[in-house]
Amino acid sequence: MLKWKTHTPEGALDILEKECALKRDVEGKIKNIFSSHGYFEVQTPTFEFYDVFADESGEVDQTSMMKFFDREGRIMVLRPDITTPIARLVATKLQDAVLPKRISYIGSAFRDGDAHAGAIQKEFTQAGVELIGQNSPEADAEVIAITIKALLDVGLTEFQIDIGQAEFFKGIMQQTGLDDDAIEKMRQLIDGKSFVGIQELVDEYKIEENLKQLILELPNLFGGMDVIEIIKDRPLGEQAKKALDNLIEVYNILIDYGYEKYISIDLGMVQGLNYYTGIIIKGFTRGVGFPVCGGGRYDNLIGEFGKSIPATGVAIGIERLISALRHSGVKFDGAPEIHTLICYDNARSTAFKIANGLRSSGLCVEMWLGGDNAEEYANKKNIGGIVKVIDDENIDIVNLKDGITTRTSIFDLLGGENI
Amino acid sequence: MRYLTIALAKGRLSELSVEIFEKIGLDCSEMKEKSRKLIFTDEKNKLKFILVKATDVPTYVEYGAADIGIVGKDTLLEEGKNLYEVLDLKFGACSMCVCGFAGSKIPSGFIRVASKYVNIARDYFSSKKGQTIEIIKLNGSVELAPLIGLSEVIVDIVESGKTLKENGLDVIEEICKISARLVVNRVSMKMEKTRIMDIVDKVSEQIK
Repeated sequence: MLKWKTHTPEGALDILEKECALKRDVEGKIKNIFSSHGYFEVQTPTFEFYDVFADESGEVDQTSMMKFFDREGRIMVLRPDITTPIARLVATKLQDAVLPKRISYIGSAFRDGDAHAGAIQKEFTQAGVELIGQNSPEADAEVIAITIKALLDVGLTEFQIDIGQAEFFKGIMQQTGLDDDAIEKMRQLIDGKSFVGIQELVDEYKIEENLKQLILELPNLFGGMDVIEIIKDRPLGEQAKKALDNLIEVYNILIDYGYEKYISIDLGMVQGLNYYTGIIIKGFTRGVGFPVCGGGRYDNLIGEFGKSIPATGVAIGIERLISALRHSGVKFDGAPEIHTLICYDNARSTAFKIANGLRSSGLCVEMWLGGDNAEEYANKKNIGGIVKVIDDENIDIVNLKDGITTRTSIFDLLGGENI
Repeated sequence: MRYLTIALAKGRLSELSVEIFEKIGLDCSEMKEKSRKLIFTDEKNKLKFILVKATDVPTYVEYGAADIGIVGKDTLLEEGKNLYEVLDLKFGACSMCVCGFAGSKIPSGFIRVASKYVNIARDYFSSKKGQTIEIIKLNGSVELAPLIGLSEVIVDIVESGKTLKENGLDVIEEICKISARLVVNRVSMKMEKTRIMDIVDKVSEQIK
């Protein structure tokens, strides 16, 4: 036998019935939340030209894209995210759409990674919203609020959404006058909350005292609103001040949504700065070592496809969300279950009628396809009862829970109108 | 209150970590008893300590299986995980070096480099020196490689340099300084800020 014939590749999974039912249930609830806010679903191709994702400011590094060639030798990739294809779609196919345009999506995305990092899936499901055509705190707050609503609706209670502002760090760095290399070094250290490393670097670059104190505080500036109180009166330049005001405003809007308790601030959030142009969002919960959702404002992305439109959005990682739900012990009552097994010898058409009648009354019904022993099969599969169809007038209902058999007719079983 | 889990690299680093933890009032007594246990608890502070192989510390912390970890900078550089690298603990100090025969230089052109640290070696030679190399991954006694002609040089950790000297080898170039680091999972830092920062601040006081 071929060596890999019976394996799935690392990072790709089979999903069995119970898990699949749970996943679809979670996805369904999230879709409903999205569409009830006016975010209707679109679908983009699972694979696209590499060029769509290849850009300096791209959020995904090219080494983590799964690539292949088409017959003409063009490089294709399995989409590493869904926001970028939506940006392409908006710039090319929705040019005349009434703005703001609200869009949602749900589907697989693909990222290649460490072959041994088992729990980091290479194929994963993202569900998200994009609010296109408006650069305002209301727009950013809306996508955050919808995310919170979706997380609550699927049953997650203990979680935290961190909001930061990409322009805050960019503004402060501009005040220091450091060159790009030094800024990148600083960004990495702040991103790693490497308190000592930052101290060494600001000393090395001889940054002026006020600004130095501010930079040293950056990795510590996360938590509740008190973070903003600390920083408000510091010598901020215009760009950083504007970013901070924007953050405060988004926070205030979220208070009116009633979601204050889920929000916290992180001014040291400095990942993806080439991509994000304003608010940055990351969601955390217990039991999952990675963010369960993320997003932010990306005003430059759609412009790369030919039409400059501001936009903001959030994506939820469905697999991570499900493992968080499991961790927090949320009960799932939608597990697949067969209620009735129907057997017949000669009365086939009656049996089919009864099966459909019971199905339309909401039961999950299986037909016995013949074999050794129907009752044994039903017991093994935990099916509640068997309906033995002898003819129209003689139907035995065997309740497998208590072993009692009741005789009935098709008329009594389905009522007149269903026959 | 939920347990916070601290992952320690088995061996000398964990002993030094325990010293610091005891100074800041954590109870590590269970860990000092000779036993084969891998999980130790401090019920008073609701802490769990786990002892794992050094190279696995970043993995436990990245996945959130441990909230905090103490591990050498060499392992962090080699494993390249996405963590908060909060403190330099200063102990376990040594250097990552290119070593070869005493008094020699790194040969120019194509060379073979033997190392446990393939990522660090690749990064140093290709990004910093622009030299084409073949990397040979070894898991121990790396000093042997140049002696029997498996490679021209090695990349390894040097503490005293004694093993090198006894084998006629020496440091040729230093790549970077290494010491123990305190790392924190990115989600734990947010969800347990008060407790984690309390430990971080107290440890930070100790190493000043």
